[in-house]
Amino acid sequence: MNGLFARIGLVVAVTALSVLLIPGVDDGVELLFQLVVLVASS
Amino acid sequence: MGIAKRAGVIGLWVLLVLVTAVGTAAIKQRFADGPNRVFSGGALVSGKLYNGSEPDWQFVNDISTIELQLLEPDHSRRIWTASVDGKIYVWSGYMNSLVGKLWKSWPAQAEHDGRAVIRVDGVRYERQLVRIKRGAGLDELTALINEKYSSQATPATIDSGDLWMFEAAPRVAVGSR
Repeated sequence: MNGLFARIGLVVAVTALSVLLIPGVDDGVELLFQLVVLVASS
Repeated sequence: MGIAKRAGVIGLWVLLVLVTAVGTAAIKQRFADGPNRVFSGGALVSGKLYNGSEPDWQFVNDISTIELQLLEPDHSRRIWTASVDGKIYVWSGYMNSLVGKLWKSWPAQAEHDGRAVIRVDGVRYERQLVRIKRGAGLDELTALINEKYSSQATPATIDSGDLWMFEAAPRVAVGSR
């Protein structure tokens, strides 16, 4: 179970850092979110 | 491990990545100079602060969205706008729905403290949001909104409180009323 939590933490940390530090990733994520919301609301 | 179980595990990992990415992007935008697409931004910092006579806001009818920031709290969002008789209006719909009540906090904040900054084409304007609770006389405005955004705004939706309409009035003029 400890190994699972460590893997979850690693995935969360890598994902968050990627969004924070790599230029354009945040915009791409927001575009994806916008498309999902548009599709869901139509 | 069965195929379905393995697919479920992979799906959970993908969901974890997506939720983390969306949450992080939303938080990051809160510290940015203005909103981006759908996530709220921080205070509007860049752009010349307009200091002239009251503009004829008719030109915003050719612009799809503007950036709106309240002074308290100093969050900003991208918002629809329209102008009639030289005045500029912003609004929030679906206010009687559960989604509106849960998601849209800025209209109540604006009603409490209407001091705002809008940014249009890179120029910032200090404004005072004044809520209009009665739709009488706003037929031209709602017709324009419906034409511009394919909405279903009517004076009746303003009366019912489903559509909260604000005039973004000059801040000085409000203080002297």
